[in-house]
Amino acid sequence: MSTVLEQIEQQIAKLSSKAVKKNTGNIRTVADGVAKIDGLSDVMYNEMVQFPGGAIGIALNLEEDEVGCVILGDVSQLKEGDEVTTTGRLLSVPVGMELLGRTVDALGQPVDGKGPIDSKVAYPVEKIAPGIIVRKSVSQPLFTGIMAIDSMIPIGRGQRELIIGDRGTGKTTITIDTIINQAKINKVGLASGDKSFRPVYSIYVAIGQKNSNVVRTISALEAAGALEYTVIVAAPAGDNPANQYIAPYSGAAIGEWFMENGMDALIVYDDLSKHAVAYRQISLILKRPSGREAYPGDVFYLHSRLLERAARLDGKGSLTALPIIETLAGDVSAYIPTNVISITDGQIFLETDLFNQGIRPAVSVGLSVSRVGSAAQIKATKQVGGKLKGELAQFRELAAFAQFGSDLDAKTKAQLDRGGRIVELFKQPAFAPLPIELQVAVLFAMQKGFFEPVEIKKIVAAAASLKAFFTTRKDALLAEVRTKAALDKDLEAKLLAACEEWKSSYTA
Amino acid sequence: MASHAKIAQQFARQLFSLSVEDGTVSAEKVGGILEYVEKHKVANPVMVLKAYRRLIAIELAKGIALVDHAGAINSATLAAIEAAMTRKYGRTVKATARPNKELLAGVRVQVGDDIYESSVAGQLAALASSV
Repeated sequence: MSTVLEQIEQQIAKLSSKAVKKNTGNIRTVADGVAKIDGLSDVMYNEMVQFPGGAIGIALNLEEDEVGCVILGDVSQLKEGDEVTTTGRLLSVPVGMELLGRTVDALGQPVDGKGPIDSKVAYPVEKIAPGIIVRKSVSQPLFTGIMAIDSMIPIGRGQRELIIGDRGTGKTTITIDTIINQAKINKVGLASGDKSFRPVYSIYVAIGQKNSNVVRTISALEAAGALEYTVIVAAPAGDNPANQYIAPYSGAAIGEWFMENGMDALIVYDDLSKHAVAYRQISLILKRPSGREAYPGDVFYLHSRLLERAARLDGKGSLTALPIIETLAGDVSAYIPTNVISITDGQIFLETDLFNQGIRPAVSVGLSVSRVGSAAQIKATKQVGGKLKGELAQFRELAAFAQFGSDLDAKTKAQLDRGGRIVELFKQPAFAPLPIELQVAVLFAMQKGFFEPVEIKKIVAAAASLKAFFTTRKDALLAEVRTKAALDKDLEAKLLAACEEWKSSYTA
Repeated sequence: MASHAKIAQQFARQLFSLSVEDGTVSAEKVGGILEYVEKHKVANPVMVLKAYRRLIAIELAKGIALVDHAGAINSATLAAIEAAMTRKYGRTVKATARPNKELLAGVRVQVGDDIYESSVAGQLAALASSV
């Protein structure tokens, strides 16, 4: 007991021994989550400042005789004349494995009612992205579990792949599928006891979304058993714009911890259009000069500095980013979409027309691209799906041409028929990602013509039957495809035999 | 309206720079400026004078050490504070005592927007935030 008292006395003595210097200011105006402050002559750019009542702010505008701060937290108690103090610190958020399975706000504080987070490490929210020397080129695949993406627009660990499309085209669904797929792979990999296996942890950042949507996402992840590998950072539409502005950076800091500690992580920014809108609001209130579409001049830097933090580090881990951008009426040439397209290493474009035709995921093959290309694919996928993108693009061109005439030669008819089958084959329900070995098996069957006798309308059912056949009866073969990751003659013969077996038992 | 405020602010800054002599605010020059504003038709005089007042107040606060204290404080202590602050800021700083029971014990010195906290209330607050 006496030691405790001594400890307190020592602390008091330490505090009594010297005067503490603080640099202060007073609130001049406060509105919409932004405060203008007199004083604070020693404040630094991006420094955290302390408001009364526990609210904190970040100094964003350092002017000649006033400081503009965004306020994070409850602004309702703040009033003109309140004292504000500098802290000499940058804004930090708790990071680490303790955050997995939790939902936190933009400051890393839990909002899921599961109690406090016992994290021992904190990372700064704003951090300079890794430089050139420490980086390594992207060469390891990150499987989304979506056949159309994994076979034609492969994503690698450390890549930034934009998901772009109008509202209601399935952008969020693709990212949730990807997170669920990582969880499934993690479970299988960790259970196998393979020491070289590298799990992928996911971070989902919800910016400016409805609370109901966030809850739906959490429920979907929980139902799929993926929440235990995921951190949710929520800055919903009801949060003040400062929280929405800072949330993706907080998410990036959480992801960086995994990357710096030799692990792989995936981060989803849902979505950066709303993030840009929140930043525009802050900038206009701070009276920064506005430019195109009233966005401030540094809106490109806003996203480039965020997405540059996704990387694959030499000798460490990786952080893969999947930012989402919502377009209006499919206009990809608007300001924010073009900015983010130019920053990222490719984009998955989702089309409303395809979605309405029932082609889901509504990936537009012509407009989607992965600049990392086949470097991030396993050999087996390259072997069975290497020519798919070209074939599908040719199909779309021919289909458009075929609308004008009915007399088509046999070769064109065959190409159209094959294209139609591929489109049907790529249809996939939401929240049901496919393991890569199953994708290889299905694509192998398609390449070998096992779907040719099936009517186009019945392709989906036939593919489902083939998948069920492989998962229930050819588990060992799938495991072999997974471990070998390439099709040799022996494996091809086995796959062929399995497909023949399925064909003999399948009745349309 | 916003541009009026900006112009008034810029004009006030010009007036302020004319009011400073050898690094300190000159009462004589301030008097001259007020006379000028009164005699000439300055646009938005209230706005200009409010901004000017604010700038002068900030500058004057840099030359005053406001010593909040709980309990008695002697003139020797005040003189010591004056000397220390004058040395620190490289300008003449005059100490003004102001009793403040909320400090419980000790002193708090404010020069401009810098605060030197050596009061029991401040230490308790620091202790509370560190626990």
